[in-house]
Amino acid sequence: MTRLVEVPAHFDDRSFDQFAGAFAEARRDDERLLFDAHAAEWASPYGLVGLLAAGQAARRPGSGAPAERPLLTAPTSPEVLSYWARAGFFREAAELFEIHGKVPRVKAAEESEVLLPVTPVRAAEDVHAVVSKIQQRASAILASELSLDPKATMGFAMALSEACQNIVEHAGTGGWVSVQAYNWRRKLARRVVVIAVGDAGVGFRHSLEPTQNKRFGDRWGDAAALEAALVQGVSRFRDPGRGQGLAGIRRYLVRWTGKIAIRSGTARIAIVPPWDDDVPLKDGLPPFPGAQVLIIIPEQGSAER
Amino acid sequence: MIQYIDMHAVLQESISGVYADLVTRPTGRVVRERIERAIAGGSVGEITVARIDFTGVGCIDYSCADEIVAKLLRDRFAVLVLSGITDGHREAIEPVLSGHGLAALIERADGTLESLGAAAAAAALLDELVARRLAAPLPGGTYALTLA
Repeated sequence: MTRLVEVPAHFDDRSFDQFAGAFAEARRDDERLLFDAHAAEWASPYGLVGLLAAGQAARRPGSGAPAERPLLTAPTSPEVLSYWARAGFFREAAELFEIHGKVPRVKAAEESEVLLPVTPVRAAEDVHAVVSKIQQRASAILASELSLDPKATMGFAMALSEACQNIVEHAGTGGWVSVQAYNWRRKLARRVVVIAVGDAGVGFRHSLEPTQNKRFGDRWGDAAALEAALVQGVSRFRDPGRGQGLAGIRRYLVRWTGKIAIRSGTARIAIVPPWDDDVPLKDGLPPFPGAQVLIIIPEQGSAER
Repeated sequence: MIQYIDMHAVLQESISGVYADLVTRPTGRVVRERIERAIAGGSVGEITVARIDFTGVGCIDYSCADEIVAKLLRDRFAVLVLSGITDGHREAIEPVLSGHGLAALIERADGTLESLGAAAAAAALLDELVARRLAAPLPGGTYALTLA
């Protein structure tokens, strides 16, 4: 029997909990999953990376050696299909899903919107490649489209590097990163650059549990783990220099009025800039494996809506 | 003892050679260990001054700043004099050093020294270098290394 998981028509961080709920529900019976994206109209980098993480988590050990892959119904809209292909989604999805529907043979984009197509991150070497590539691609766009000081490019690369390293050091599995620039009409009438990093690994609570569980006592859980990592700069390593990464990302985002949100397990934490109305901490969300990081840097200088 | 370190060259030797960025903990660890080997061997009681030239290094992230610069300062008595530093490098290194109460020096293109990191540690560092005649005050309140 196959269980259906509907992919939201507009799949981004706002609709992610709806997706996570459907995913959690469908997984209960340990049946094969079918991710239905046929009606998808748009997906943010966060949505695409999250869908890959779900695909990774939904692989079921087969009776034979190879794991049984979940099914994915590709979007029917040619424009959406083309966009997902150019964003590098299908290149990664091909390994994780049994894809149904016609997928265009399009190379991952070298266009202005896709600063970094969906890219796997498994090891430190991958982080080097991502940082190198983003500096080549992003410098002009950050300056021209977001009016960021050209000096901010290096900070952007640093933030991206640290976000990716969370996968390498904490997830216990591989993950993906994607960076895109687009007009964000929903919240701001301006351009934004969005970094999405996600994995289906062990998540923050599991990663920090050996060192932080006792300190938090009854409060310990996904929300406490996220708070410890993002707000208190706690790391699972006892080395006093650890925990620099997320703290550094926060400093960078404060400077450029950016936003970071991290979802892990059943909780989500955000550092909320003045232009956003997100809540700082949510608990009791539908469970989802690993961690999903969203970083948004808005165009500088233009009036807030 | 003053030891010159070409950070870009050390990085190229440490990883595959195609990347110019100091990113990730594993890379930082390998680079630091190479620098430690290069600056080892000073006499007992002697200060080792490591002049680390960042020219050609693209980005350095917080993890590498901690793994290399902060740990070199924490784990052994070496004064770090950094040159070829961009604003981006400084953005990563400064908060890491400040957070640990550590300091290094930046050698500007004109040879004058500028402190980086925790103010108290930077002041103590300059005092020590001057006392050991490794640095000297210049007119205008700046300092420079005496052994250029």
